[in-house]
Amino acid sequence: MNNKSDILVGIDLAKTYGELAVVKGVSLAIREGEFVSLVGKSGCGKTTLLSILSGLEHPTRGQAFLNGKEITGASEDELALFRRENVGFIFQSFNLIPTLSAWENVALPLFPIQMSEAERRRRATELLDQMELAHRLEHLPAALSGGEKQRVAIARALINHPKIVFADEPTGNLDTATGDAIMAILNGLHRKQGMTILMVTHESELAKTADRVLHMQDGEVLS
Amino acid sequence: MYHAYILKELRHHRHRTLVNILGIAVGIALFVSINAVSTAYQEAVSLPFKNLGADLVVQRAEKRAVNSSQAGPSMRGIRLPFSNQLLSSDDLDKLRIFPGIDAMAGSLLLWNFDRGGFRTIMGVDMSQPSLGPVHIKEWLAKGRFPEKKGEVVLEKHYAKFNNTQLGDPFTIGSRSFSVVGLLEIREGAQIASTNIYLPLADAQDLMGNESKIVNLVYLRLQNPSRLNQTKTEIMQSMPGISVASSDAILEVMGGVSRISDQFSLVVSLVALAGAIFLIIKTMLGNLVERSREIGILKAVGWTGGDVQKQLMGEVFLQSAVGGIVGVAAGYLISYLLGYLAIPVTTPWEVNLLPAFAKEAGAAAQTIRLPVSFSVGLTAAALALSLLAGGLASYFMGRRMAKMKPADILRRL
Ligand SMILES: Nc1ncnc2c1ncn2[C@@H]1O[C@H](COP(=O)(O)OP(=O)(O)O)[C@@H](O)[C@H]1O
Ligand SMILES: [Mg+2]
Repeated sequence: MNNKSDILVGIDLAKTYGELAVVKGVSLAIREGEFVSLVGKSGCGKTTLLSILSGLEHPTRGQAFLNGKEITGASEDELALFRRENVGFIFQSFNLIPTLSAWENVALPLFPIQMSEAERRRRATELLDQMELAHRLEHLPAALSGGEKQRVAIARALINHPKIVFADEPTGNLDTATGDAIMAILNGLHRKQGMTILMVTHESELAKTADRVLHMQDGEVLS
Repeated sequence: MYHAYILKELRHHRHRTLVNILGIAVGIALFVSINAVSTAYQEAVSLPFKNLGADLVVQRAEKRAVNSSQAGPSMRGIRLPFSNQLLSSDDLDKLRIFPGIDAMAGSLLLWNFDRGGFRTIMGVDMSQPSLGPVHIKEWLAKGRFPEKKGEVVLEKHYAKFNNTQLGDPFTIGSRSFSVVGLLEIREGAQIASTNIYLPLADAQDLMGNESKIVNLVYLRLQNPSRLNQTKTEIMQSMPGISVASSDAILEVMGGVSRISDQFSLVVSLVALAGAIFLIIKTMLGNLVERSREIGILKAVGWTGGDVQKQLMGEVFLQSAVGGIVGVAAGYLISYLLGYLAIPVTTPWEVNLLPAFAKEAGAAAQTIRLPVSFSVGLTAAALALSLLAGGLASYFMGRRMAKMKPADILRRL
């Protein structure tokens, strides 16, 4: 587990909600620069596992190490700071702040950090430019299409130069063509920038584009 | 804390923001207006005594004079009012050395019934520069105050009614005077207002008495907060003497005037607490609606403290604006109420007029509420609005801490 190239390690992770065992003793390792997809039927526990591995949630049992730090057992604020430094998120439902403009949504993780407004704006603009959204800087999320929203969300996931990006059904709310475009962006991030990505999906077609596919079924990772 | 975010959030949810601001403003406006009006009432009620510069007025009533209305115009000539019999020189000596007394002045109040009708006469002790009826020098509309025997000042309306002008001769009983001044009765004049003012010595002459007699004594205390103690002490050590303070006016008046400062403070604080309670409830409701937003902030790396600061920024901005609007509205209401003239009833023992003389001096019976701006009240109101913000932030912080970032992953 202390293998230098393993950026994310889970050991015997389990999560139960009351009586319901949702994740049942999962162990896995993801190497730096890998694009791994986690595929399985709806309700099999993918999102729960992702939230444990990314430090959003505590497991009932087991340990998780991210970038060499054990995140299981850390306090909520410690985890928040850790996510701010190391993790980027892309969600199925975009999760943008409706009152903030596109560039402000991208810069959201930077607000609590001591930094000039100009610097925040510069970094957000640069990323939106990469996402081909330079003309949408001041737009509110409501004025953006689904694909544009997700591209804003990707820019937000990258603004803190994360070690790993977690994507939970990133194309789930998009039509096929738009979804393909988003997948192309993720693949590009992986190939050109060497970004480590863990993507959760229930579509095996999408999963195939990854370096490695983990199959999940009924709370367990099969291979 | 990100200021633009605060403003955008508040502007985007205009309705919500307006309700919060209005809620605080209503609470603060109630607090300010109740206290300002109550203070103004106390002020109004104390005006008659202030006009004399006196804390206490001492007099000795005729024993049977509890109800003076049976008196009729059958009593001719110059006489003492029922409630103002002569004070003995013993009484005066005692008062002069009474502990806690800062200054003392006497006057002689006379009633005059003759063919011309009825009039009241005040013999003024001119030696006291600021105590007793001499205090109303500033009400002079024309001329000057009497400087030597034989000079009188007339109340303006009375002078007009009698076709008397400045410089005219004027007769009281069998004696002749010259009018040196005209005086205009102002608000709260009840216990200072008579038709005629002349030097004390002249009034004493009119009574045909050469010794230095008075029937009204005005006292100023060294320590006005000991007013009630001193009042009781005097009445205990001098039987038959009555001592009045502005409380006497307060007692015969009903309504808001009865409400003490402390009571109105409590009432207004209760009103404010109710308003704050409602506001905190709606703010907590708003927060639940925003649980997704808070989950997002936490997921992208905001700590509980970062989120709390953001919420506090929003809450304090709203409470500050609400507080300022509330203070402004509170004073606006108070000043509008200040245009109402409130009737101030004068208790019989300090009323200078006989009970049957209704119409005389009726103009002076109402007082406009003297509402005034108070730095202390304003500061307290603003502090309370910020306190409300603090409380709301506290409860919102507790609620916010329970919102888990993982929950947003399962929201569509
Ligand atoms: N907070 C929770 N409390 C109770 N049950 C939950 C909770 N979160 C998820 N579950 C349940 O756990 C199971 C797995 O959920 P999830 O990890 O979201 O699956 P997936 O992402 O694979 O669709 C589901 O049956 C879901 O109802
Ligand atoms: Mg899921």
